[in-house]
Amino acid sequence: MPSKIISNARKDKRTVLTEIESKQLMSEAGIPVIESRLAKTKAQAISISKEMGFPLVLKIVSPDIIHKSDSGGVKLGLGNAAQVGRAYSEIVAAAKQANPKAKIHGVSVQKMAKPGVEVIMGMSKDDQFGPVLMFGLGGVFVEVLKDVAFRIVPLVRRDASQMIREIKGYPLLEGYRGQEPANITVLEDLLLKLSDFIDKTPEIKELDLNPILAYSDGAVAVDARVILESQT
Amino acid sequence: MSNIAESTAKKLDGVFNPRSVAVVGDKQAIGYMWLRSLSHFKGKVYSVQIDPNELPGIAELGVENYLNLMDIPGPVDYVIASVPRAVAPKIVEDCIQKKVGGACFFTSGFAETGTEEGIRLQQVITDLASKAGLNLIGPNCVGLYNPEIGLRHTEAQAYGEAGSVGFIAQSGTQATLFSLMGQHHGIKVSKSVSYGNAVVLDSTDFLEYLGADDKTRIIGMYIEGVKDGRRFLNCLREVASRKPVLIWKGGETEAGARATASHTGSLAESSVVWQAAIKQCGAIRVETLDEMIDAIKTLLYVKTGIGTRLGLIAMSGGQSVAVTDTFAKAGLEIPLLTNASYQSLASFFDIIGGSYRNPLDISSTFFMAANGVSNLVSMLDVLDQDPNIDCIALELFPAARPLSHDPEAKDPVLGAVSDFTEKTGKPFVVIVPEVYSEALASEARERLMERGIASFSSFERAAKTLKKLADYYQFRKEQSQGEDDG
Repeated sequence: MPSKIISNARKDKRTVLTEIESKQLMSEAGIPVIESRLAKTKAQAISISKEMGFPLVLKIVSPDIIHKSDSGGVKLGLGNAAQVGRAYSEIVAAAKQANPKAKIHGVSVQKMAKPGVEVIMGMSKDDQFGPVLMFGLGGVFVEVLKDVAFRIVPLVRRDASQMIREIKGYPLLEGYRGQEPANITVLEDLLLKLSDFIDKTPEIKELDLNPILAYSDGAVAVDARVILESQT
Repeated sequence: MSNIAESTAKKLDGVFNPRSVAVVGDKQAIGYMWLRSLSHFKGKVYSVQIDPNELPGIAELGVENYLNLMDIPGPVDYVIASVPRAVAPKIVEDCIQKKVGGACFFTSGFAETGTEEGIRLQQVITDLASKAGLNLIGPNCVGLYNPEIGLRHTEAQAYGEAGSVGFIAQSGTQATLFSLMGQHHGIKVSKSVSYGNAVVLDSTDFLEYLGADDKTRIIGMYIEGVKDGRRFLNCLREVASRKPVLIWKGGETEAGARATASHTGSLAESSVVWQAAIKQCGAIRVETLDEMIDAIKTLLYVKTGIGTRLGLIAMSGGQSVAVTDTFAKAGLEIPLLTNASYQSLASFFDIIGGSYRNPLDISSTFFMAANGVSNLVSMLDVLDQDPNIDCIALELFPAARPLSHDPEAKDPVLGAVSDFTEKTGKPFVVIVPEVYSEALASEARERLMERGIASFSSFERAAKTLKKLADYYQFRKEQSQGEDDG
């Protein structure tokens, strides 16, 4: 029984889920995510921001814009309602400029997460072996150094434990120069939950949780991106 | 094991153990290699050949020839077809009609050529064989090797005795080389198969079969690609939990992937995904035939439970440094010994021209001492007793002190090393580097092999192999602990 989020996207003949949909889906899978709420107007953004409290992050919500920050679609560290209103207008304008044909759902409003170690988890499908889970440290570690580990779904705890320890940057997770260490068991749990969810949800073609902020007492996905298999 | 696996294993058992073999299309041009390879086959051998020019040569070998597979009076359990590719469909039809147990097609020129005609012919034989349920091996391969019954694919292969190592290779050359090189490393094949383009039977079918084969204790595989990755993974996980499986994946680089496409027509797969698959299933990944041989030799001759903390004995100061660097770079530890060990060593070790922290540089205590051999034994004993040490590696230097040429003669070093191998509870290996005489070194390795002692030709090969095996035993330990917990 696929999630309502997937059946809705299918109804709209969409394969790319928005950040808000992707996060809802992850939440259903038991993955903690930073709550995001959709604001369709500037006024809505301001009223949501007052409910949530500050500081906040605003991000463009459009199925046609995947690299949000590259097209001016992300504003961080917004401290009050006036800043939120201005950020809303700027984001929408930038999105229209970047892609005039983009369908814009609005802007997502979310709490600024407290700093932690940035890690990423992702899934892509191999022609032969099916879904493969990826784990790495975020940012430069994955983009430049390709310091990532892979396992084929489904994973057992040993796989999750080994893949986390396999990356060269593992010592950074243990706490470096006084930085708070990441809770490895929590990360293992997340990988296992993801594996389980992917195993039961063949409709998903690609998935990215980037970044996940890892803390000593938990972890939370700040951004999520899910792409569905195209329907045949 | 699932019912499907049982039925695959059952159906392949007859093919791996045929009582009658027919060779179709053997000829002078290839020196009648197929019929000759069957010179010690324990069963009936037939030839099928229609070319009158080939008949005298076949008669000379004392093999009965028929003009058609169907004319052979009795049943045929295994067919080796070495015919032009255009004739392959006809021979497949004959095999089906004759109800043979299985057929290997040495014939090549199919999808691996990338030509329209090759791809079409491959599809024709695949369709014919799949529809009829024919156990087709290949095409583009050398098929089965079962030494116990003299079923071989080259005369150079050993026969008469069943070994304990199964080998599954997409490439015929790798299957042949493994069996031939293995003979020099104390590795005896139980059964092996080369399966080429894998149009009907694929690596997974053979893995299931050898996984269930009682005579096969260890399985090596050379794979270029698999047809059904998920089925392969499930089978690998199951078999690897019962016996060591080593995998050498060909075509890991982009250029290598291009080569596999034109070799067996396999699709390139991402090498990181393969590495993950091998690791997850608890198989042992090797990257060359040498690594395959080294790891299997170690599994066969070295005590199980290899750990990462090495006690090293080297024959000189320079070699001590070299061996330590090499082992440390491979990810192994060379820890300090206990105080008790140092006290024992101090009682006899000559520290002028030697040292004993770990590694033990024994030049003066061995070469230059009247009781060098007994000193060597004492050092081995110290390492054997030291709780900081999991595993012992000894360098021998035959150029300076050759081991006896006569295997019957009692060489004191060989004797001491042999006795220690029997006595020690720890994994123990010997390294005999080439240094300046490969002839002497290789002879020394042979002498050691005769006594069931695993030796390596370089520090690198020993270190890499021990690390691989240490990881393997660690995985097995975690796996069994996981099962206990769960």
